[in-house]
Amino acid sequence: MAKVAYYPGCALNERSSHLDRSARDATVKLGFELDELDTWTCCGAVPPVSKERVMNLIAPSRILKDVRDSGRNVLITICDFCYNTLKRTNYSIISDEIIRKRVNAFLADDTPERDYLEKDDSIWEDYTGEVRVIHLMEYLRDELGYDKITENLKRPLKGLKIAPYYGCVMLRPQNEIQLDDPENPSIIEDFITALDAQSVKYPFRTECCGSYLSISSPDASTRLCYRILTSARNNGADAIVVSCPLCFYNLDSRQKAITEAYSDFKPVPIFYFTQLLSLALGVEYGRQGFEKHYVDVTPVLDKIGISTGKGGEE
Amino acid sequence: MKRIGIFVCHCGINIAETVDVKRVAEEAMKMDGVAYVQDYIYMCSEPGQTLVREKIVEEKLDAVIIAACSPNLHESTFRAAAEEAGLNPWQCEIANIREQCSWIHSNREKATRKAIKIVGTLVEKTRLNESLKPISVSITKKALVIGGGIAGIQASLDIADSGYKVILVEKESSIGGHMAQLSETFPTLDCSQCILTPKMVAAGKHPNIELMVYSEIEEVSGYVGNFIVKIRRKAPFVDWSTCTGCGLCMEKCPAKVPSIFDRELTTHGAIFVPFPQAVPNKPVIIKDYCIYFKTGKCRLCEKVCEIGAINFEQEDQFVEEEVGAIITATGFETLPVADLAEYGAGDVPDVIDGLAFERLLSASGPTVGEVKRPSDGRIPKEIVFVQCAGSRDPERYRPYCSKICCMYTTKHALLYKHRVHEGQPYIFYIDIRTGGKGYEEFYHNAEEEEGIIYLRGKVAKIFRDGDKTVVWGTDTLTGRNIEIAADLVVLATAVTPKDSTAELVKKLRIQTGPNGFLSEAHPKLRPVECINSGFYIAGAAQGPKDIPETVAQASAAACKVISLFSRDHLEQDPAIAWVDEDLCSGCRVCISVCPYDAREYDEEKEIVIVNEALCEGCGSCVAACVCGATQQRNLTDSQIKSMVTASLGGK
Repeated sequence: MAKVAYYPGCALNERSSHLDRSARDATVKLGFELDELDTWTCCGAVPPVSKERVMNLIAPSRILKDVRDSGRNVLITICDFCYNTLKRTNYSIISDEIIRKRVNAFLADDTPERDYLEKDDSIWEDYTGEVRVIHLMEYLRDELGYDKITENLKRPLKGLKIAPYYGCVMLRPQNEIQLDDPENPSIIEDFITALDAQSVKYPFRTECCGSYLSISSPDASTRLCYRILTSARNNGADAIVVSCPLCFYNLDSRQKAITEAYSDFKPVPIFYFTQLLSLALGVEYGRQGFEKHYVDVTPVLDKIGISTGKGGEE
Repeated sequence: MKRIGIFVCHCGINIAETVDVKRVAEEAMKMDGVAYVQDYIYMCSEPGQTLVREKIVEEKLDAVIIAACSPNLHESTFRAAAEEAGLNPWQCEIANIREQCSWIHSNREKATRKAIKIVGTLVEKTRLNESLKPISVSITKKALVIGGGIAGIQASLDIADSGYKVILVEKESSIGGHMAQLSETFPTLDCSQCILTPKMVAAGKHPNIELMVYSEIEEVSGYVGNFIVKIRRKAPFVDWSTCTGCGLCMEKCPAKVPSIFDRELTTHGAIFVPFPQAVPNKPVIIKDYCIYFKTGKCRLCEKVCEIGAINFEQEDQFVEEEVGAIITATGFETLPVADLAEYGAGDVPDVIDGLAFERLLSASGPTVGEVKRPSDGRIPKEIVFVQCAGSRDPERYRPYCSKICCMYTTKHALLYKHRVHEGQPYIFYIDIRTGGKGYEEFYHNAEEEEGIIYLRGKVAKIFRDGDKTVVWGTDTLTGRNIEIAADLVVLATAVTPKDSTAELVKKLRIQTGPNGFLSEAHPKLRPVECINSGFYIAGAAQGPKDIPETVAQASAAACKVISLFSRDHLEQDPAIAWVDEDLCSGCRVCISVCPYDAREYDEEKEIVIVNEALCEGCGSCVAACVCGATQQRNLTDSQIKSMVTASLGGK
């Protein structure tokens, strides 16, 4: 089975392990394997926002260089923050010569077995942005093709109305990410359609969920998430689909606070796109990690006859 | 040897303060070939010119050099004076010791030395100057106007009224352009159709104007005074010579075509005239929508046409015309609403652009002037107008100001208020720009008296929520975010060049600027001419413009054409490139560098010749010529060599 280099990142290793597992399950069903890097570090999560031009790029550059050095030129990642960080780091290295030189000077320096004056049998090669950083959804759209998913559907999600939620970093800044139009995207809508579900139009799909405000001023995030969730529900959505672990955390766990703050609020289940994908491809219910969700997803899945221990290939 | 006279000007203190003119004169006298030197306080004055004329005769001078200001300013003045005294004008040269010396330096000693060198280089050039004769070119006194909007109509009428023939080419099947779509015009609120249609009729009937509607420029060759234009006359599939314009065919046609004229708010048949006041009032069949052309069945129009004017066999015709001048007046388009992703990307039915709102306001529009929104035909209670939709946004859309939107948006809000008294218009703006006669007063009245709410800030997002269209914006004056659940949103979309302009300019070989609008020869002093002789521009094809400005520019372009045609023949500067036929190897590198297409390969002689009417004397081919076969008259390689030597202080 074809293997593609895969960087999970911190969230998928722990809190969002169900995103990781459903992604691995789904891709195997589609004929390729996510091949986790042998060693990897934190990508830095938010470095491109910082004013510092070089230090914050070292860790992601090291990850990218390792992929290059292992003879591969494509790296799949799923978490939107990892995707944003790695892709923008790559962009800086390609487009800015000074950054490229400085980053490589650091990378050369921190290789312990390297000594320029003494012996060194490997040829040092600057990392110049050779690795293409690809979001799993981007890989499904552009490399595999959404039609391939549709062909392999074991359990079409016909009858489900799903609202896409994009969040902030998956699409921005457009000139660096170039995944889709950040103001009027369609990549998740088309994904939903490929699963034979119906995608719901609502105005808040690209509005902010509060991101890290969830920690510093949770009330702000509560308000923002309330608007997103309510708008999706009012437009007929059974559930919302996301790819970002932070969006998931905010939209899902925060519904506890929202229910307390807004009496008219009705909970909306949140899915990772990989969960819907792996369910639709026939992976059993029990492997989806739904026990990690705050909002119960069973009513939605019951609607189309998927629930615990029933349906699908076991 | 030539006897050269040098006249050094003080230009009051402009030159004399920084340059020691007496010393320049003394040194000039020592130069080879200089027979006479004189300085004077104002050489361009009548006594100064008289001095030059007298001395040419008295001192039997063969050539003169005026050391003064830039040749751009007074070269023609002094050449005329020299000619009066019997000299060939090309034996008069200007040494620029003002713009290139006294004005830019402060050290008197160094400036004086530089002025002496400047005079020295000109002495070297003048010694080898030939006497030249201007090149005479005949003129075809017939103009081509491309584009039948208000700019093209006005220019055509002005030229035709002065007695010259005009061919007015229009791509659509009627003249009138965007102005025909407008309701009422700012700041006087007179009805657009009422002031335009008489002009359309006048252009249609004028004995000197040949209207070629439903036609496009195919090819242009030739040069100023003598262009040859190939025009494609698209097949209307209707014999216009017999069609009476009764309109029966249009009533019966079962096809549904979105009306471009009505901004797709309505549909018409595949056989149609764009609007009832069309000139000429003759229908065309659009092949792509015609049921007969698509399926081979129907021909309903043919059946109802009593005189048998429908002809499905018609094909495009090509005509060739000779003209002497070309005015490009191709107008503008606006940024499609679909391009503005954050404003609904064209998917929200009640988000329309300014031209669509004009149609809603127009008495001859789809709603007969009643303001009804497209989604459900209800009268909107609240309308949000969004200015700068795609303008003044260098990162995402267009960097420039579209200029007309502040005024027409205020007009829109005002006309809406006049029709729906209890309605509430809001206008989001960045700045209100009201430069124009009566414009500020118009805006002031609208803001103070008419109850229009102006909000200073940009709109972030527009989306549909139920039957409302929600607008999120910021009021930067209060610092608050604003949400309006509106019934209709009107975007003042950016004014852009027409898509077809890019292709047309390639055929005409004229220039466009960074935003795709036509470039003028000089932004201030030659605003209606192109760099290439014989080409003129008018209207919004040059940049966003309102009607008064467009009409003024159209008349100005017409005036330039009339002044060109008032001469019997054209005189071209003979100081251009020429080719030594014995030296030319026919390598054609000159053809690739010539910006004016003035170099042509002569198959018979196997050399590259110069088209003297096209050559502007820029010297590109001279510099590129490998074997020195191409030389610039009066700026030959040997002249340049000795000038360089003199400028470096050598002999």
